[in-house]
Amino acid sequence: MADIRNKISKVYSFEQMSRGNSIIHRVHPMAKIIVTVIYILCVAMHTKYRLLSLSPLLFYPVVVTALAEIPGRKIFAQSLVALPFCLFAGISNIIFDKKILVTIGVVAISGGVISSLAIIARCLLCVSAVLILVATTPFAKLTAQLVRMHVPVLFVRLIEMVYRYLGVLVEEAYTMIMAYRLRSPGAKWPHIKDAGSFLGQLFVRSMNRAERVYQAMVCRGYESGIYANQNEKMKLSDYLFMMIVIVPTVFVTLFI
Amino acid sequence: MLNINNLSVSYPDGNKAVDDISLNLEEGKHLALVGANGAGKTSLLLSVMGILSFEGEIIVDGIRLSKDNIAEVRKRTGFLFQNPDDQLFMPSIYDDIAFGPRNMGIDEETIKYRVDDRLKLLGIEQLKDKTALTLSGGEKRMAALATVLAMKPSLMLLDEPTAFLDPKVRRKLINILKSLPHTMLIATHDLTFAKEVCDESVIIKEGKVFARGKSSELLYDEKLMDEGGIEAIGVER
Amino acid sequence: MHMADALLSPAVGGAMWAVSAGATVYATKKITDMDLSQKKLPVMAVAGAFVFAAQMINFTIPGTGSSGHICGGIMLAALLGELPAFLTLASVLIIQCLFFADGGLLALGANIFNMGFIPCLIMYPLIFRPLMKKGISKAKLAGASILCCVLGLQLGAFGVVLETLASGITELPFGTFVAMMQPIHLAIGFVEGLITAAVVVFVWQVRPELVESSVHKEKVSENLSLGKVTVIFAVLSAVVAGGLSLLASAFPDGLEWSMEKVAGTTELEASGGVYGFVEKIQNTLSFMPDYDFAAGTGSGTSVAGIVGALLTCALALLTGFIITQMKKKNVDGGH
Repeated sequence: MADIRNKISKVYSFEQMSRGNSIIHRVHPMAKIIVTVIYILCVAMHTKYRLLSLSPLLFYPVVVTALAEIPGRKIFAQSLVALPFCLFAGISNIIFDKKILVTIGVVAISGGVISSLAIIARCLLCVSAVLILVATTPFAKLTAQLVRMHVPVLFVRLIEMVYRYLGVLVEEAYTMIMAYRLRSPGAKWPHIKDAGSFLGQLFVRSMNRAERVYQAMVCRGYESGIYANQNEKMKLSDYLFMMIVIVPTVFVTLFI
Repeated sequence: MLNINNLSVSYPDGNKAVDDISLNLEEGKHLALVGANGAGKTSLLLSVMGILSFEGEIIVDGIRLSKDNIAEVRKRTGFLFQNPDDQLFMPSIYDDIAFGPRNMGIDEETIKYRVDDRLKLLGIEQLKDKTALTLSGGEKRMAALATVLAMKPSLMLLDEPTAFLDPKVRRKLINILKSLPHTMLIATHDLTFAKEVCDESVIIKEGKVFARGKSSELLYDEKLMDEGGIEAIGVER
Repeated sequence: MHMADALLSPAVGGAMWAVSAGATVYATKKITDMDLSQKKLPVMAVAGAFVFAAQMINFTIPGTGSSGHICGGIMLAALLGELPAFLTLASVLIIQCLFFADGGLLALGANIFNMGFIPCLIMYPLIFRPLMKKGISKAKLAGASILCCVLGLQLGAFGVVLETLASGITELPFGTFVAMMQPIHLAIGFVEGLITAAVVVFVWQVRPELVESSVHKEKVSENLSLGKVTVIFAVLSAVVAGGLSLLASAFPDGLEWSMEKVAGTTELEASGGVYGFVEKIQNTLSFMPDYDFAAGTGSGTSVAGIVGALLTCALALLTGFIITQMKKKNVDGGH
């Protein structure tokens, strides 16, 4: 049960982290988005046996996490969540790719072992880059950049509002589960035959609540179209940040 | 400050939630709207915000509410919802309070100052970085009030402000509302609250103004209140 | 069923991004054109949060000792209509990608396609709605929900297989991969179908107008023939993803194992064709072509390479550690 609320508190802990004031937090959000995208592309461009040249790419997440003063352990732990499917693919590589690629002394290493290690490394690097982005940039600023990138405004507003409603709805689901467990001792989850009334009820309630929350937002000027414009220009330091990350990353990817 | 002339609001099924109500409210005054559940109090308040479509005339601060100036009217009018959970949708209380001013295009520096000021006024500085999820009912109410005050409204509409509050927080809220200079229209079932905060009260019955008078007299008038569908203060049965 | 960045090549990931982005822009435009945005925005938003919350609730399946939950594609399409449902799911997937590491940023396009596009824009308009044409009933709603969920998940799982194989990162042979993915998702799809059916029937009884207005989207279905658009999108995505990934570097790696099977040797490819060409470029560009495993095998250089890589990692971690310590000192000094 706590599981239901835990997930939401994770979202909020990222939101809290993102309001820090470190050198990384102060970098223009657009610069961070560009860096993140290029970094991920570079990591993904590493073909399957390229394991060693991934090592210099570790600098980015580690150094940025330290500079941003965000808990690296938290970022790492959250990255692990992405692993299972990668592990599945990785393990199958070990099984199917037994071609010996390297021998060091008496130890022979197959291509499968190397490619599966590379999959895991790439997975962790990509995911941590995204987590660092959201841990150092407030969500509202990220979505403001989406508008700048010509993502349809309706869609951006939708993303923002889904984000805002998460807590409310999870809380309601939590209350329902709580009420259910109180009336049916021992049962962790409702029986599947109750799924209709359970989720259906939640949906109908959600629709009613949506109406009210929307009204509350409209009352405070949401609909009038005036919206926080974080249209700060990129400063020299932002370009510098981009160069410092992008140049070595691209270099490593293409030439090493 | 607020003039309502011949206001009618209809439900989708054609029934009238508000039926030809006229009201006026002078600057700085507090007026209580009392009445049974479903009497039309909330509908009245929502129509002033331009959320429900209506017939008749609503004038806020000299501006006649229409499609074109809805934004202007909303800038001057704050609405406190009955359930603070509907009003606190951002990930932190700070962001919630800053939401309105941000939509008004105010710069972050001013917003920061304003948010801190409102938090201090209501004595909830410690909530600044918290999420609404972890707050008590009383804290949520105060935070919601801060979101309204941060927009510097001249008129405030409050829907059941004392709902879900324990006596201590209720007392605190009464003191705060009494000290605020804003013009207020307050829908409430809490009659002793109405008596303390509002000089005047209006009984709404079936979408119409049933009676209007001084709170200290009207709310104790057993006969009138009973006909209006509510129980006067001090009545025991 | 979330894909991960590490299993996709940039070409396949990019192609799926293009398809999903195109569908998103298209759906947004359609909804805005139909002037639904004002009314639909709060509904979609809260429905998105609902899906998010609903995914966390498990339901006990009697006799199995296990439990199941929903992804929500068909359910949302039945309750909101296909275009709003697609946008809603896309936004949920974006938030999950950002905050929960559920699938990566590069894989986002593929995930939106597999879990949003397929159920909302293929299954619902092509199967669910036609089944409701001659009137809605409880049994029909339930049957259509189960059918769409099962088929949708099968197609989605197949999408995962194709996208992964086109990227050439996993060594799983096509047959084995399919044999693993499809049956698992048959079971998952059936459970999701049961839950979806129950919810859709419930909502239909309480708020029939929600389900009916989604089914009778005359406006949508008449003037744009969604089926056609969908098919075009699907074909386009397959062609683009396939073509790009062949052109890109994934080609030699992805087909290596099959070459090996067919020709009995890997020497063949190195001598010419695309692989040779790519390798030549790589060799010319590379300062240290033997540094990594990709280029060659010499055991001496490999050991040097491994040591070098480990040292690099250690240095990265050390730098992070030092920065953290310095920051801490600064804070302490400040007090």
